[in-house]
Amino acid sequence: MTTITRIVAALGGLVLAGGAHAEEGKLYLFNWTEYMDPEIIEAFEEKYNVEVVQNYFNSLPEMLAKLSAGGVSQYDIIVPSNYYVPRLIETGLVQPLDHAKLPNLGNLKDQFRDPSFDPGNEYSAAYQWGTTGVIYNSETFPDGPKSWSLMFDPDVNSSYPFALMGDGQVSIGAACAHLGHGYDCTGVDAWKEAAKLLIDTKNRGNFSGFVDGTPSLQQLARGVTHVALSYNGDYMNFKNEDPESFANIEFMIPDEGTEMWVDSMMIPAEAPNPDLAHKFIDFILDAEIGAQLSNYNYYSSPNAAAEPYLDEVLTKPPVQPTEEDMARLRFTPSLKGQELQTFSQLWNEVQAR
Amino acid sequence: MTETNMAVRSRGVVSETRHLLFSVMPGAVWIIVFLVLPSIYLMAVAFMTNGPYGQPQMPLSLESFRQLAGFGFLGWSPGNLYTLLRSLWQTLLSTVLVVIVAYPIAYYITTCREKWRPIMLLAVVVPSWTNQVIRTFGWMNLLAPGTPLSDAAQALGLIAPNMGLYPSNFAVTLGLVYNFLPFMVLPLYAAFEKLDTAQVQAAQDLYAAPVRAFWHAVFPQTLPGLLAGTVLVAIPAFGMYVIPELLGGGKGMMLGNLVANQFAGSANWPLGAAGAILMLIATFVGLYAMRRIGKRLGGGEEVVI
Amino acid sequence: MKKRTLQRGLTAFWWVTITFLYLPLLVVMLFSFNASNSAANFTGFSLRWYERLMGNEQIISAFWNSLVLAIVSSVVALAIGCLIGYGMYRHRHRKLGWLIVLIYLPIVLPDIVFGISEMAFFVSIHRHTGLLQPGLGTMIIAHVTFQIPFVALIVYSRLVGLDATLFEAAKDLYATPFKRAVHFLIPTLKPALISAFFLSFTLSVDDFVISFFTAGPESATLPIYIWGAIKKGVSPEINAIATLMIGAVAIAAVLSLMFNRQGRH
Repeated sequence: MTTITRIVAALGGLVLAGGAHAEEGKLYLFNWTEYMDPEIIEAFEEKYNVEVVQNYFNSLPEMLAKLSAGGVSQYDIIVPSNYYVPRLIETGLVQPLDHAKLPNLGNLKDQFRDPSFDPGNEYSAAYQWGTTGVIYNSETFPDGPKSWSLMFDPDVNSSYPFALMGDGQVSIGAACAHLGHGYDCTGVDAWKEAAKLLIDTKNRGNFSGFVDGTPSLQQLARGVTHVALSYNGDYMNFKNEDPESFANIEFMIPDEGTEMWVDSMMIPAEAPNPDLAHKFIDFILDAEIGAQLSNYNYYSSPNAAAEPYLDEVLTKPPVQPTEEDMARLRFTPSLKGQELQTFSQLWNEVQAR
Repeated sequence: MTETNMAVRSRGVVSETRHLLFSVMPGAVWIIVFLVLPSIYLMAVAFMTNGPYGQPQMPLSLESFRQLAGFGFLGWSPGNLYTLLRSLWQTLLSTVLVVIVAYPIAYYITTCREKWRPIMLLAVVVPSWTNQVIRTFGWMNLLAPGTPLSDAAQALGLIAPNMGLYPSNFAVTLGLVYNFLPFMVLPLYAAFEKLDTAQVQAAQDLYAAPVRAFWHAVFPQTLPGLLAGTVLVAIPAFGMYVIPELLGGGKGMMLGNLVANQFAGSANWPLGAAGAILMLIATFVGLYAMRRIGKRLGGGEEVVI
Repeated sequence: MKKRTLQRGLTAFWWVTITFLYLPLLVVMLFSFNASNSAANFTGFSLRWYERLMGNEQIISAFWNSLVLAIVSSVVALAIGCLIGYGMYRHRHRKLGWLIVLIYLPIVLPDIVFGISEMAFFVSIHRHTGLLQPGLGTMIIAHVTFQIPFVALIVYSRLVGLDATLFEAAKDLYATPFKRAVHFLIPTLKPALISAFFLSFTLSVDDFVISFFTAGPESATLPIYIWGAIKKGVSPEINAIATLMIGAVAIAAVLSLMFNRQGRH
């Protein structure tokens, strides 16, 4: 029997040892789905003779959960949105950027050089920016109002299935905007009112679920829903890839206001290969690569140097919102401490009822 | 141990104990280290405080249990109670429905020719060999808006126009019944196969009505199988995560989702751990109750799964 | 007369139930061959979703992860579970209540509690010691934990079913415990070991929740990949992978039937 015990022990040892990797020459990129041009990855792999391993997330809560469940030591680059940046910095999940290794950082437009969520780019460098808006089926709503009422007002949409955003902060923000408190509302009173509206809304017969931004486009194309929330670039990207299915699907920025976001590249605190991560960030900040990225995924570039190389479609709505719409865009507030906990409880309540 | 070994008995006891340790220890230690300790750790987390970004931290408190009961910064709210009641209701409903379907099926298999029985049992069990996520995905396909089933339900006025049967609480119940049916059929089949036909015959002579004959002779004999099946169905159904998440569409949240959410989006590990403790208590109460009832009915060993 | 109506009713009910059980799987299989990206209409036969699968590195790596996970965990669980099963049998007259409780624990614990406790535990161990980084290793540990009891119970019940005098005979025949194990125990237990291995394998492939919570970034298995793909909303490809997995199960079912038949002759 001792032989068997030994085999068991050996196998056990193998299991315990397995799992650790941090191999040289590998970059672990944790990014949103449908957000990276494969050719850029190939170019980077070729330039530095490395392999890029990509993993994807559909929402920021999902990203944060993976990161705190061990991902902090397994990814080299993450691409969170503005309102998660302070949270990541304060919980020590990310490391400061070494600006000496990022000569291309100066390519960023001024407003991205010193963003409110990360003064002085200490931890983050902008990747892309865009908007969250309402997508709807224009056959179902031929003269749909440019308004959140398409979701929240049962008189405007009494029977067509619609979905809200899986990320609670966006859904609550949308409800706040509809109620006239503005998309970036904070404070218990406004939130409570918004949560009530959401509970009433989700109990309507034609509410079909909380769906993340990218899948909601698929659902709309397949007729599962007729109104939902999504991102301008993904919308353009999908529409371009499958013009037939997306022929009747429109993207709009509600007049009550909605979200503008900036996704930034950050390096997790215990990244296996921070040096390569810096190289990657600098690579993306390159003028031509930055333009190639935007041309591929239809999001606005934060890169001033990239401008000459950008496709024309990127200078028009919905990629570049009109000036009027620009004035309606807000950042999602970054929450912490008591505020975050209150918010979580309200969102939990919305989901449970 | 035979009598001839008496002389070496004392040495024998020692080596027997060593034998026991050697054979049982690797597995026992494995389960203790990789399951008992983690569970204890999780329970400890439930008594910690939620940090500013959701991570568990000192000091110890009962805050998470208060939150689970619905007491938050904004006073009491019924959300978690809804979730709990929904979990209980879905468990009860799906277990009853599973029994209603499984009972005749298990009986039917025993009435068929012996050579067919293994094949029939296999036919019932095989779908459960595919992954839970795939099975649930199959129902998403079947119940989505625009599918024949949804169109039929619309025509009958069961659901609003333009809507599908999924996502809904109905879809969750259906998914649960589908998922757990084999767990009920197998123990019931075992019970039916052992049915004492002489007793049934006697009952048929005694009671004119077949219903009464069934109730007095057949039903009590299948009770152990029924109880075993109930345990196998109800406990995992109560903690279900995948089905409400995929088929409920934000309307069918159950306790499993509440717990999982606290470790993902909302990031409140202590609250999630408190929910897990609630689930554990429910599990052990359920097991204990089944055991007690089983013993009283004289089911004996079989009831103890 | 009455009995026949009952029997007919039951036969009809049987076929309805079988339809209920297989319909979702058949629909998945049917739509995996759909030419268009529609869940509602079948517009024509096509293999395009399968072609897409073949070129998808993530799916191929998920397939290998699933396979390695299932095989390694089953082998480890077989070794450990077998020992426990044998120990339980040899010492069945002693008070082993604590062991029984320990063995039933992984079976009765709800998946979600199981997965989350291990995830929380592994994460905090990793934070303090650097060991147990979430990945294939932690998944193997978790899978072995829920496989051990099933192996132990199968081996135990097989041993209980044996004639006790056989053991005495074997004791006289083979001097060392090692020889006894090789020449007597393992051959006698072979059918039980094979079925325990296959059960462990099936349990591993069938698991989603526990894998999901103990996985690392590079260790996604097929079910985890499918879950992600459902959440992401890419349907037709999921149909194709799911169909392949259902096919594998169908083959396993046929094999198990044949194995069963042979066993009885």
